[in-house]
Amino acid sequence: MGLRSFFGILPPRVSYRGVSAPVEPVPIPEKIRLLWYKRTPSDLAVQIGKRVETGQDLARDGKGPFVSTVTGRVEDIGEFQGVDAREYLAITIITEQRDSFDPSLEAIEDFSETKPETLRAAVNRAGFTALSPIIRDPRVWPRVDALIISAMDLDPQSVANQQSFRDNTSEIGTAVELLARTTEALKCTLAVPDNLAGIATGVSMGAAAVVMVPPVYPYGLPEILAKKYGAGLLLHPHDTGFSGNTIVVGLDHALSMVHSLQGGKPMLEKTVTFSTGENGGFRNFRVRIGTPVSELLKMASVEPAAGGKLILNGTMRGYACFSDKQPVTATTESLHVQSPSEGFSFQDTQCTNCGKCNQVCPVDLEVNLLGRFSEYGIYDKSRTLGAENCIQCGLCAYVCPARRPLVQYITGAKQAIRSGLEEPVGMAEAMECDACGPSCPAIRLFDMGSDTEDSPKEKE
Amino acid sequence: MKTLDLTVSPAPHIHCGARITGVAYNFFLALLPTVAFGVYYYGFDAIRVIGASIASAMIAEAVFQYIMKKPITIADGSAAVSGLLLALILPASVPLYLVVVANFVGIIIAKQCFGGLGASPLNPVLVSWAIIRVTNTWAGFLDFDLTLINYDTGFLLQYPLAVLKAEGSAGLAHFSLLDLFLGRQGGGIGASAIIWLLAGGLYLVVRGMIRWEIPCSFLLGVIVVAGIFWLGNSKTYANPMFHILAGNVMIGAFFLSTDNSSAPVNRWGMVVFGFGCGAMTVVLRAWSVYPDGVVFACLLMSLFTPLFDKLRAKQVLPQPVYPITPATISGTVEERSGQ
Repeated sequence: MGLRSFFGILPPRVSYRGVSAPVEPVPIPEKIRLLWYKRTPSDLAVQIGKRVETGQDLARDGKGPFVSTVTGRVEDIGEFQGVDAREYLAITIITEQRDSFDPSLEAIEDFSETKPETLRAAVNRAGFTALSPIIRDPRVWPRVDALIISAMDLDPQSVANQQSFRDNTSEIGTAVELLARTTEALKCTLAVPDNLAGIATGVSMGAAAVVMVPPVYPYGLPEILAKKYGAGLLLHPHDTGFSGNTIVVGLDHALSMVHSLQGGKPMLEKTVTFSTGENGGFRNFRVRIGTPVSELLKMASVEPAAGGKLILNGTMRGYACFSDKQPVTATTESLHVQSPSEGFSFQDTQCTNCGKCNQVCPVDLEVNLLGRFSEYGIYDKSRTLGAENCIQCGLCAYVCPARRPLVQYITGAKQAIRSGLEEPVGMAEAMECDACGPSCPAIRLFDMGSDTEDSPKEKE
Repeated sequence: MKTLDLTVSPAPHIHCGARITGVAYNFFLALLPTVAFGVYYYGFDAIRVIGASIASAMIAEAVFQYIMKKPITIADGSAAVSGLLLALILPASVPLYLVVVANFVGIIIAKQCFGGLGASPLNPVLVSWAIIRVTNTWAGFLDFDLTLINYDTGFLLQYPLAVLKAEGSAGLAHFSLLDLFLGRQGGGIGASAIIWLLAGGLYLVVRGMIRWEIPCSFLLGVIVVAGIFWLGNSKTYANPMFHILAGNVMIGAFFLSTDNSSAPVNRWGMVVFGFGCGAMTVVLRAWSVYPDGVVFACLLMSLFTPLFDKLRAKQVLPQPVYPITPATISGTVEERSGQ
């Protein structure tokens, strides 16, 4: 977590804690809510009152897999506002406490014997988000220059991937094999935080080269991993023609993939790190996707203080929840309960030009100028200063003594630049993917302006 | 069902705890020994100048912001630091009206007219000082040898740079480097307390309130250029160590040139800026009519700050994003296997 040492020569570090938190299973809640981005009820193959089975594809044919994670009865189909303030299609299912699995999912015994297309189809069908934006047709697949399986977490508030690495060292080789075969990547790398190096020794990592990553904040972000240890750029739906395509997959996600493909099950569960207070209280909960946040709070027997925050996906880049009804999605990494005293408020002050933000920026932007140009809407200058390269890590706002909302200024500039581009086409297609939102695998997209992204389909 | 009382805000949700006021507090702390030094040797006169300077700087800022109907920000301490720094480079005997006028000019013209803290292209302290120095009727108040004649400090109260200007390096024989380092020289209230300024400056560097690049390259610039002069003609020009320990170099390197808004923020920009300040200081000391050139050197270099800030790698702009079409995908599996 955050550190601000007496010695200020070095910029402040946001360090990962080497905490070990055993994974505790959370029972299936009474009700779950599944979210689907940019869809209407007509895209669904089920109606209110119908019974669904675990693993059943709820989408109408051709609308892409949308997999039920429980067995139960559909109670409601409606709109839901996610943490990212986007409207989602939500299906509420009253669960039966046991699973009856949909028979159309088949187990794959040996990955090395299976064709990549078959694996991709199976991964897509099982509802995994890491690759699904890129899989449209399993037979058509872009060249992947590098695959990184990351045992780092996106945020220091999350220890899910690190715990997977501690617990499942014997299975990493299989996960590497599966992903390498599925993605047909030219190079495969396993990113391990420095402090877990001891566990990595003597373990078979399959075909992957192991890199040790400093356990400091922005190193866990997929963009940084792709830049430093991958082929350069993250692969995302509409840049597939460029070179330097890298896919970053979290280890927890990769291991889930192995387990479900071997067992013929869909993507059911997600490890979510629960933390509270300044110093942690880290716990890892294994929950069904769709479980509301309130279940996690109940499990941890923590009640958020009045005026506190429930933060999904980490304190640096995450989202504060509107309510505890927000469900866990496939991309939820962590839940942090923050009391009002630990938070801070942004201020509408002017830049003092101290340059701390330039010092910490991982993509080497001139944030002191960029923040000012973006604040006053001089977007052509923002563009020449590289506003689009911002990965929204939040470090500039974290260190800013004037407490300016720098990330929001720059994000606003990015949106304006995007919507002002001559050919803003491709947005609609990019938004077809379901993984958008709190941690879109193609982060460069998830802050798109709301005006341009509306797909023609929806306007009809 | 009970609804929760939740706060919603954008990321990031944590902060390292730094505040603008923290910078000012640390400056005060760092300058405390220097102020004590000045008060010890110059007594009540030093308190008088320091007090008047801080007060007038803060009043100038408050008055201007009140008239312009802007939020009054004197609580952030930046005006007070400016006032204190100006007092430290003035002699103890300076008349108070001069301090007040200089502060009003510096704070209002150099700082507030350009938009306040962080927006001023020149350090207001330097502008205040320069206004006194270039005004003919006032310049005499900055002649340390004349104005400090009434003080008894227990050591030879002579301004070493004036001696250097008048007599060349031969006249400096009675200034030992140790005396200079310990502050036994004529000069501003705090500017001659070399050892304490160094300690305070290092404290600020360690705390991260100022960046190490500027002071280091400033001192390096002084050493290199003074060294060139000295090697060329050691009779006329003093040795580099003398230049570092005399006059405003120490306060300039750590406190005046490191002003956030008028100094570059990128590493190589700061290095060149600092080196330029140091080099220009020695050049002005050697060739200008002024005994000390620190203030003018810093002012001159501040004007180049936007250029120095360009000394960095350019951002690679991302390619425009194209819609996904079959052509952008590198072929189907069958096609690739045929390659």
